Amino acid sequence: MSGWPTFLLERCKLAGSHRLDVARANGAYDVLAKLLKDGTPPAEVIAVVKESGLRGRGGAGFPTGLKWSFMPDPARDSRPRYLAVNADESEPGTCKDRVLMEQDPHGLLEGALIAAYAMRAEAAYVYVRGEYRTSYDRLQAAIDEARAAGLVGERILGSGFSCEIHMHKGAGAYICGEETGLMESLEGKRGHPRPKPPFPAGSGLWGSPTTVNNVESIFNVPFIVAHGAAWYRTMGSEKSPGNFLCGISGHVERPGVYEAPLGISARELLEDFAGGVWKGRALKAWIPGGSSTGLLPASLIDTPMDHDSLRDAGSMFGTGAMIVLDETACVVRASEILARFYDHESCGQCSQCREGTQWLHQIFARIERGQGMADDIDTIESLARGMAPAKTICALSDAAAIPALAVVRHFRAELEAHIEQGRCPLRSAGAVAAREGVPA
Amino acid sequence: MTRIVLNGREVEADPKRPLIDACRAHGQHVPTYCYHPGLTPVGSCRICQVEVVQGEMPARVVVACRTPVVEGMVVDTEAPKAHETRRECLEFLLKNHPLDCPICDKAGECDLQDFSFAEGQGEGRTHEPRRELAKRKSLGDVIVLDQERCILCSRCVRFFEDVTKKPQLAVAERGAQSIISTFADRPLEGNYQGNIADLCPVGALTLKKFRFQARVWNLFKRASTCAECSRGCSTTVEVLRDGEVKRFRPRYNERVNKWWMCDVGRFAYDGANVPDRLAGAVVRGHSGLEHTDVADALDSVRDVLLANRARALVVSPFVTVEEGEALLALAKKIEVEPVFVSPKPNGLEDDLLHTGDPCPNRRGLEQLGFRAKSAEEVLALLGECECAVLVGERVAALIGDGLRELPAAVRLIVLDCTALDVPAVSVCLGLATYVERAGHWVNVDGLRGPLGAARRAPDGVRDTRALLADIERRLSAAEVEA
Repeated sequence: MSGWPTFLLERCKLAGSHRLDVARANGAYDVLAKLLKDGTPPAEVIAVVKESGLRGRGGAGFPTGLKWSFMPDPARDSRPRYLAVNADESEPGTCKDRVLMEQDPHGLLEGALIAAYAMRAEAAYVYVRGEYRTSYDRLQAAIDEARAAGLVGERILGSGFSCEIHMHKGAGAYICGEETGLMESLEGKRGHPRPKPPFPAGSGLWGSPTTVNNVESIFNVPFIVAHGAAWYRTMGSEKSPGNFLCGISGHVERPGVYEAPLGISARELLEDFAGGVWKGRALKAWIPGGSSTGLLPASLIDTPMDHDSLRDAGSMFGTGAMIVLDETACVVRASEILARFYDHESCGQCSQCREGTQWLHQIFARIERGQGMADDIDTIESLARGMAPAKTICALSDAAAIPALAVVRHFRAELEAHIEQGRCPLRSAGAVAAREGVPA
Repeated sequence: MTRIVLNGREVEADPKRPLIDACRAHGQHVPTYCYHPGLTPVGSCRICQVEVVQGEMPARVVVACRTPVVEGMVVDTEAPKAHETRRECLEFLLKNHPLDCPICDKAGECDLQDFSFAEGQGEGRTHEPRRELAKRKSLGDVIVLDQERCILCSRCVRFFEDVTKKPQLAVAERGAQSIISTFADRPLEGNYQGNIADLCPVGALTLKKFRFQARVWNLFKRASTCAECSRGCSTTVEVLRDGEVKRFRPRYNERVNKWWMCDVGRFAYDGANVPDRLAGAVVRGHSGLEHTDVADALDSVRDVLLANRARALVVSPFVTVEEGEALLALAKKIEVEPVFVSPKPNGLEDDLLHTGDPCPNRRGLEQLGFRAKSAEEVLALLGECECAVLVGERVAALIGDGLRELPAAVRLIVLDCTALDVPAVSVCLGLATYVERAGHWVNVDGLRGPLGAARRAPDGVRDTRALLADIERRLSAAEVEA
């Protein structure tokens, strides 16, 4: 199950990898030190990240180097500049950033400092999901250690480059992982996403140029700068180069976070890494990249895990967090759970999202309760089309609509059976329950 | 100015304002809820969808309130895709709306009702129970909130942030549970609370004083000017069929009050609905003040004026510029210095609208040559003369209780909306209030504001200028006879 180079999780495997001494003995901060020693022009760093083709790992897959290049020229714009590291990992099914923050916080700090150097940001803010207490504590300890070693703060390693790194703990809102919601929250306000334009590079934190990057995106940067864009492009696919961290969860034998090149088939991930569907059951459906990406039927399990292939299959790469449903899973129940999540997490600004997420939740819950109505499927479809694409300030509305549409598209018959029979056909058949002694 | 193509016509648009303003400036109607030209646009209700083509990019449907105007942009407010998106948006907005229009004060002037009629779908599709929230939550002395009707446009929240700069409201909770709330349920404060009832595009925020008072389509509306301070905010006077004033509302005026007015002015219509109006005239007889013909009363006025040489003319700051001109002529005729009573500042001044000066036409009267005198100075003046003419709405009230102390030897002629029964009064003639007569006031900045006659004065009340002309005519005739 290997045969490709791995680099993201290498240091994480060492004992005490979160400590500065262990991390530095294993290469942490070497790339930053070299950059500062050589006085590499920041534009060159941006250029190599751009050439590497690294795409953001937070869900949207936007090219990271291109995002960096949107920051205005400091010669013409005297405002302070900021980097925000999005560590508010809250997409259901996603737990990859947590591994990096807990096991290799210095790797993230080095990446953040290089990114800040490239964009000439005077400070970086790490917005950590509130529930991630270990991540927060380890990152804070790492910052303290690094500051004591002259790696964070004024005149880093004796160079002319200064960058402060601040931590911020989220308070449990999914919407604060949206980059403009995150900025509002960092500023101390409600996490209401901001309409765009203006984009963060033009007017971000406190009205200053800001770039928001996902933890894993930032984590890739030292490796790209150290080994070059060509090396990075030897991994992954042409349009989605590099390795990614795949968090596999659900009905599998070995759930976990694995490193694999983009473009690997979903089947390989499921069977070779996660040990296949658990309890010897058959695969029913899988969600490729976190709950906001539409679920796909078992028949599409050979789809390559990269941005373009998954888009062509009618879903999205998202955060690369695969959720597996076995043959006993009820897609209506699963949809109800997802719809409840978005209903709970919608910030409530936009009409479509505020009312639509609630409405979808209510309909799925009603079908699940056995009170489905004949027009429910049509209503779900037209509601979801009214919520997406791009009809609202941020993409949460889309994220709620996409899974609903995917269920109707791939599992219409099962929805209809629920509505007609007034109960879950899987339970009523009793087959699985009888086989495994689960009370129906 | 930037040139854009709007519904097939090339037009000019202000590049500093969002696209929605250009649409409106050129008469193209696009519905809005969260957008208001006086507030920071947030683009959250998503109803103002229009189709835009920019350069080579394919047509997009965007919210007009957050879209900057760009040279050469082609805009279609009536594109099928734009209509479709607006229709979808309306369905979401109505999903939890209680549809209690028959008992809602906003019905008839409700944006949600109007746009639903214009472009919504005829039938609801939801089988779900509607949100149940507080129907009559008090937000202080002025405003009641119906949380069920609220569509969370946040105009009220932004009003306190952007206009009064004293934020008091916020959106609490999240998603479909969101509600408008003050911090810890404290009551709203300040002199500008009423504006949020105007701003509310639905019937969520209503004025306690206007609740269940009138169906808005029964209100007769006339442009007018607020009387409560020298700012002279542009207003609309709204009168129910029987003539009772039910509402004062701000009328947009870029140079004076924009879209706003203060609560003191807004709720001043009790003063316009004066009880005990004097319709006609009273003169002092054997049993006190007795009703009489206006013509007889005018003869008495002439007799009093001719019989006494030490005379005075004191007018109210409510008289209009036009009435002021007629009063100047009278002053000349009876050879007195024209004076208006100028009450003390009321202490309500702020940095937004209220000036604290309760004289709506101070500037206009000063421009005509009237001298301002305090109530004390007026009383001193009256005490020294043999007879005096007091003219104008509230003139007696503004001079105050000191009038009671005047010796009966001073003969007072009072032209006011109500009769004044004090020993010194010889004659009273009834006048129209400022909601019943036309004319102009000049505000603190020298801008003229109109008064619109929103209702008829009670039968028997004659026009102020006609009364003044009659007095003058009688005096002239007496001179000829002499």
